[in-house]
Order: sequence, then structure tokens, then C-alpha cells
Amino acid sequence: MRFQTAIGIAALVLYVLGAGWAQAQSSGPLRIEITEGVIEPLPFALPVFEAETGDAGSYAGQISQVIAADLTGTGLFREIAPSAFISGVSSFAAPIQFADWKAINAQALVTGAVSVQGNRLNVKFRLYDVFSGAEMGSGLQFTGTTDGWRRMAHKVADAVYSRITGEGGYFDSRVVYVSETGAKDSRQKRLAIMDYDGANVQYLTDSSSIVLAPRFSPDGQRVLYTSYETGFPRIYVLDVGSVQRRVLESQEGTMSFAPRFAPDGRTIVYSLSQGGNTDIYAMNINGGGVTRLTSAPSIETAPSFSPDGSQIVFESDRSGSQQLYVMPARGGEARRISFGPGRYGTPVWSPRGDLVAFTKQNAGRFHIGVMRLDGSEERLLTASFLDEGPTWAPNGRVIMFTRETQGAQGRSTLYSVDITGRNLRPVRTPEGGSDPSWSPLQP
Amino acid sequence: MKLTTKTVLLVAGLALAACTNPNSFGAGGAGGAGGVGGAVVPGSANDPTSTAYFNQTVGDRVLFAVDQSVVSDEGRVVLEGQAQWLLANTDFTAVIEGHADEQGTREYNVALGARRANAVKEYLVSRGVADNRLQTVSFGKERPIEICSSEACYAKNRRAVTVLAGGLSG
Amino acid sequence: MHKGHYISGTAHLALLGWMAFGDVFAAEPLPFQATDVSVISSAQFDALMAAQQAPQSVTEVAQPAAPEAVVDTPQPPVPDTETELVQPDPAVTPEAETPPDVSQITPLPPPADVSDQAPVLDQPSADIAVLVPEVADTPVPQAAERVAPEAVQPPDPEALPDPVEQEAVAPDAQGETLQEPSDATAPEAAATEIVTEAEQPARAPDTSLRPPARRPEAPVQTAAAAPQVPATDDAVDAAVEEAVAAAQTPAPVPQGPPLTGGEKDALRVAVSSCWNVGSLSTDALATTVVVQVSMMPDGKPVNGSIRMASSSGGSDAAARQAFEAARRAIIRCGSRGFDLPPEKYGQWQEIEMTFNPERMRIK
Repeated sequence: MRFQTAIGIAALVLYVLGAGWAQAQSSGPLRIEITEGVIEPLPFALPVFEAETGDAGSYAGQISQVIAADLTGTGLFREIAPSAFISGVSSFAAPIQFADWKAINAQALVTGAVSVQGNRLNVKFRLYDVFSGAEMGSGLQFTGTTDGWRRMAHKVADAVYSRITGEGGYFDSRVVYVSETGAKDSRQKRLAIMDYDGANVQYLTDSSSIVLAPRFSPDGQRVLYTSYETGFPRIYVLDVGSVQRRVLESQEGTMSFAPRFAPDGRTIVYSLSQGGNTDIYAMNINGGGVTRLTSAPSIETAPSFSPDGSQIVFESDRSGSQQLYVMPARGGEARRISFGPGRYGTPVWSPRGDLVAFTKQNAGRFHIGVMRLDGSEERLLTASFLDEGPTWAPNGRVIMFTRETQGAQGRSTLYSVDITGRNLRPVRTPEGGSDPSWSPLQP
Repeated sequence: MKLTTKTVLLVAGLALAACTNPNSFGAGGAGGAGGVGGAVVPGSANDPTSTAYFNQTVGDRVLFAVDQSVVSDEGRVVLEGQAQWLLANTDFTAVIEGHADEQGTREYNVALGARRANAVKEYLVSRGVADNRLQTVSFGKERPIEICSSEACYAKNRRAVTVLAGGLSG
Repeated sequence: MHKGHYISGTAHLALLGWMAFGDVFAAEPLPFQATDVSVISSAQFDALMAAQQAPQSVTEVAQPAAPEAVVDTPQPPVPDTETELVQPDPAVTPEAETPPDVSQITPLPPPADVSDQAPVLDQPSADIAVLVPEVADTPVPQAAERVAPEAVQPPDPEALPDPVEQEAVAPDAQGETLQEPSDATAPEAAATEIVTEAEQPARAPDTSLRPPARRPEAPVQTAAAAPQVPATDDAVDAAVEEAVAAAQTPAPVPQGPPLTGGEKDALRVAVSSCWNVGSLSTDALATTVVVQVSMMPDGKPVNGSIRMASSSGGSDAAARQAFEAARRAIIRCGSRGFDLPPEKYGQWQEIEMTFNPERMRIK
């Protein structure tokens, strides 16, 4: 008690007198400590990229728009409306009038130029820290075909995002998901793939049978999913480039579902139901090598590998309700990591390895949340009638998931949210969407 | 699906439903259209050997409590009837479909539906129905029959449905 | 007799066949377009751009070299074995199921032991304590796009967001001195912490498990840390006396007395209001940087003098991002001069600021 009081007094004294006390003792610099700051989107200016060739104008405009939308969409940046600009950027090579950008409080400035030769597109850009009057990193340029203009815009935005935030980018990535139409009792589902921002949707299967929970391979070239094509849930692997698919071998009288790739791209883990009991198995995707990883009378499902492939996080109701567990990749003793109230399911290991995203059900509502691998620092990011099935952006900073609305008119939509819980927003898709799986960054 | 293909499917379905052994599409009770073949039995609900009779009179489904896969007392009565019927009509096989309400994650609900389907299967087997006549499948929360988001609907969706399929003799 | 059966069987087969194959052929997966994007490495680009470094200031701008010189070797991104952009074949039906081979399900490895026990039972779980809704007596923060130390009401919609409030200045033809017209500015609306959807007021009691605030670890030791206080009463008393004496005794420094707590707080708050950690990586948010800056007598920082003295807690890259955010804070909020007493210039000619985002990380 006296000890705590003493500490309290000491803290008070230090607080009141601050470092000035120390200052008086030495003639060094004035020292202050800043522990409170603001969290707000960083204002940036992005003048429309210069069109260096006559036919590059529309590309320049569209590319500039996509870059700005990518950055704004993170919630970490705010675009300053071009109408506020004091000076434009007459050409990519022209000197930057930093004072003009400071005056409108632009903290970052992105300039760029686009040229077209035949079907070849060339995009280059520079990024400036306006208040320092310095370039951040050096200029970059991308070349490609004109029909890849969106990807080139995403690559520029990834570079800008990465340089300012220090996180890896995630814009040049895709999402495979289940596209949904129809009422709840007659819902039609088919696999679809799109850019991360909802552009370029293409369908991978028809809707003649139920498809569930597609999952990208580590190289983004293949997709595992569950289909009722045979009348029973079975796992298929589909090549994204050729749209060819094949069913994975399975035992008669069993159901297999919830597949996911190991980081090696060859091993998969999945759930297999036999005799009413669901356990986790692993197999080689090219056939054979089926290994049973759990053996309990309870439900074990939704396995997900750690990025290094050494462990698996999964859900089990062995305790009486759905909870999260971690076990070695070859099976063995499992350690429970979720202890809060309610039920926890669909764990997904983050690509950085530090967090698990999950679905939580508590008191009649669903949440998407994250926690550390030891179960600490649980944080719920969303709350709604029904949120489920998180998937990580390649940089481990953003989570996409399914939100279904209530009632007879209920409809599924994809949403994304920053792992800080900020910037919750729907991802626009032409039809309803569910079960997203985010690809790695494209090469 | 194009309109024409839909039409083809409908026509084919109706034609087949009229055949001796109602196929799995007839589970909903389209089997009452009257027999075409010579010695076939009329598949009306009054015909105790018909699918329609099984579905309507015997009862093709049992309901479950939240998160449970234990067959209730009422459910046992229904399953007792199903077992008797299946023992009497040995031409039929059945697929038992397990379902869950929407209050759960997708994967877990598939597993939960599998438990429910299996509970029904085990009961029927325990009453003497041959194991190889019964298959199970789970649809999780993918195929609700009621679509409101309240317990009234959920209770009907937490179900296992015994869907008869063509007899062994074809 | 069996005619019905034959008809039925044939029709069944036809229907099943149609279902198995017909519909599959009807599937029309859209062709894929492999995009052809090549990236030159930043090293390559640097080499090309070496001759003409990025403009450091308005006067020193070099012209970018002709970018046409850049090696233009697009690499098809799709490493498919098949040629790219092939029109996909009609989706094939799944291969005939290989007969299940039970022997492939290998016997169990060590049976998965179940451990449902919380790993730490002896420790009263912080999680549970937090469950007691904070809602009852804590005002629930309103969500706002901006999180700042102090909640700020939504501003006049006309005002541009700026931490420094300014009156709108209208051009005045009669005025002797010309002032540039400028828009009114006002601090942006702000909440005091990030409010996730799961923490919305209405939901808080039943659904929100606000994560236990990370118990602050031992304060990061920085150059600015005050001398450690011995945890005994005597030592504390001594420290108090010494501190009070130091504060009362006029400093023997010719440049004026040390800044008062209020003066230092004003500086701290001024820098804080521009220290935006919202765009920092999670790694950078775990990095404390110590930044040194030289000041001009008018209270403005010498922008070129801002340098990172040290960093702790994160990678070099994270430290760089953290430093850049700190630098922006000093330059932005110092652009009109910090409110520092001129008579004490000697005390603040050199300032060392420690930017510790620990508390921002758990907002």
C-alpha cells in the first residue's frame, strides 16, 4: 500500500514537473514525449495522370480513378477533391510546387503519366511527402497490355500504400466467392471470381448444384470448394485459368467439405463426416495419403493452416460448444484458444501468422473478430444478425466476410473491415455474395 | 437455365413421376398422377405402399431442438412408422437429409446436419431396416423450407427428412 | 408386363444422362483473360533514374529521363502449363469416381488429446472481468472517422478540416495589407477511440467483448525518460524535494528558466494534434521513435533538421514510417510556429520528441 502510494506520488510529481525537471539538470535539448495522436485518414492529392500519347487519355483518367479508389477504400487515406487544387501538375516532369499542395493540406502527392503504344500500356508514377518536400521512394513504372490497365492501377496503388503505411499492398489481388441469387429456400449458388474491389466478375461454375466455401491455393491458380454435384457434398479442385475441375477421391457413404490448402499447395485439410461424426483429415491433392488428424466423437471442422504450415487452427464442439483449437499439422494434442462467452467458429490464420480471424456467435448475434494465437487480445470487429466466414487480405490488414440480412428477404453480401475495426464497407458484386476467399498478391 | 430446358425437365419429371417407382424427384408428392403401366399400383396417398402415403401419413421428417441431434419422443413415433413402412416396402431405399437452421456457421451446420441424419439412420437400423438401404446427406443451412428469421421457422428447418428413392429392383 | 419398367428405365437413364452431361455442357464459363503486366524492379528504375534524382525542392527539379529506355519485357503472370488465354473447354464432368479405398485412411497417429482447460487458470481472467459491460457508467464513444485525444464535435460543415482553427479570411479591397483569402478551418470531428461495429452503444452490453486493454508494459525507456524513482518513501521524498527545488530555483542557464509544465503541455498537445498514426502499419504502431529538431526563434521548426535519433520496438522499415509520420506532425503543426516563450529560446532551441504510439495502438 505504502509502496503504491509512493509510486503514485512519484508519478504525480513526474507528471506535473515533467521532463522539465530533468531538463534543468542538464543543458541538453528540451525533451517531450508524445503518446497521444490522432487517427485519421491521411489526405492525399492525385492529379489525373498525364497522357503522354494521344490515345492514352481515357486510360490516364480511369487509372487515376482506380488508384484513388484503392487508396480511399482502405479508410487510411482521404482524397482531396481536384477542385481544391491550387496548381495542377502540368506534366510528370514538371517541378512540384510543394507550397500549393501544403496549402490544401495534402500530405501525400501522387503524380503519374500514361502512354500507349499499340496495345502496350506504360504507367509511371512518383510519390511525394508534401510537408517534407521530398519524394518517398523513387519513381516506378509498369508496362503491360492495355486490357490489364486495372491491374496496373492496382499495382501503382499498392506501391503508394506500401510506401506510406509500411504494410504490404493488397489491391492487385482477386477474390473467389459464391455468387447467390434467389430466395433463401431456393437459393442458386455458383462460384465466381473477381478483382478484390468487385470489378471483373467472372463465373467459374453454373448454379445447377450447391457450391460452398471456395478456397484459393497459395499460388492463386487453383480453388478448392465443396459441391453437391453428386448429391452429396464432395471436394473439387478447379483450375482458375482453364476452369477445369475434378472431384477429389472420397470414400462412399461419407461427406467431405471445408477444404483448405496447406502452404505447400499440395496438401489439403478438410472435414469428413462418417456415421454422423465429423473429423479433420489431410490428403495429397494429387491423390492418396489420406491421414486422419482428429478422432473424437465431437464435430471437428473448418481447419486452417498457419503460414509456416506447422500448425492447424480449427473449431470443435468437444467442450460442449463450438470453440477454437490449435494442433500440430500432423495431428496430436490440441490446445483450446477461445474462452470468451459464446461460440467461436471458422478460424482463419492470418498471413502474417500473428492473429486468427473467426466468427463468433453470442447472445443471438454474430461477429467477426480477431485474437492472438494464445487467445489473448480478442477483439470483435463487427456485429450483425449474421456475419461469418472471414478471409484475410494478402497483407493481413483487412478482412472480408459474409453478411446475411434477416428475414424472408434476407440476402448475402460481402463486406470488408480493417483489423482495427474501422472502415467497415460492403464489396459491390452483381448478385449476392458469400464465402469469400482472398488470393495472394498477384505476381 | 433456359426456358426450354426447364420445360424438358418438367415434362420429364412428370412423366417419370407417373412410373411404377416414384423416383427421388417425386418426394414432394407428385406421385399421385395415376398409374400408366399395366400392373402398377396407383401412387395416391391412400395407397399405403406409395411415397405419398409415406410422406403424408407416416411422416417423412423429424425435428430437432437447437444444436441437438437427439431424436425426440415425437420423432421416435414418426421413425417407428418409417421403420415399419420400410420393412414392409423393401423395394425402396432412402436418403436421409439432415438440415440445420441459419443460426450457425456454414461448416458447422453441415456437420450438425450429418449428425441429425445419422441419428435417424441409426434409429431405423436399430428397428431392423437394412443399413445398405439408407444413405445420409447433410445440407447444413443451405436448404431451409421456412425462410423467416424466427424460432417458428428455425424449428421447422432443424430437421431430418427421409427421402424415398427408387426400389432396389428398379 | 415389364413394358412399363423398360420405358421407365429408359426415361430415367435419359434424364439422368441429361442431368449429368447436358447441363454441364450448357455451362458457359467466361473465358479468362490473363493480364500481362510486367514490373521493373525498383533497382532497375533507380538505375535509370539515377541521373536525374527526384526533385528535392522546386528549384532543383531534374527532368525524368526518357522512360522509353526501360526494359520492356513483360512476363506473363500466369505460369499455367497450358497456353494462356485459351478458351476453356466446356467444363468436363468429374472423372468417374475411383472406387473408395478404405485402406487409404491410415490409422490414427497419436490420438488427439483433448485439453479444454484454460491454459492459465490461476490467473483471474482479464477477459471475464471486461465482460462486465463498461456500458453502464462509461459514456459510449460516438463513432467518428477520426480518433483524437479529445472528442471533437462535428464542425461547421463549411470549414476545411485543419487542426489549427482559423477564421475565414475574405479578400478586402480596402485593406492596406493584402491577406490571401482562405477558407475557415476547424478541427475535424473526432472520437476518442476506434468504435467498432461490435461496440455500438445499443449492442455493447450483450455483444461486445471489448478486448482487455493491453496492460502497458514497463514504459519504454527513452532518452527522455525521467530518472528512475527508487521505490522507497525516502527516495520519493527526496525526489519530490529535489524536483520542487529544481522547479523553484531559477535555473543557472542564461537562456531563461525551464519551460513550465503548462508550456510543455501546450507543445505536446500541439504536436499531438498533427501526429496522425491512422495510416501506419501495425508494425509501425508498435515502434517508438525519438526525433530531434532544431527550432527557430519564432517557434518554427527547421524542417531540414528533423532527424531520427533512435527507435525501438519495430523493424527499420517500421521505424522509417513512424519517423515520417512524426516528421509530418512537426512540420505541419509547426508551420505557423509553436507557441513557445521567446524569452526561453535557449531552453527549446533543440527539442527531442519521443513519439510513443503504445496508447494509440489500443484505441
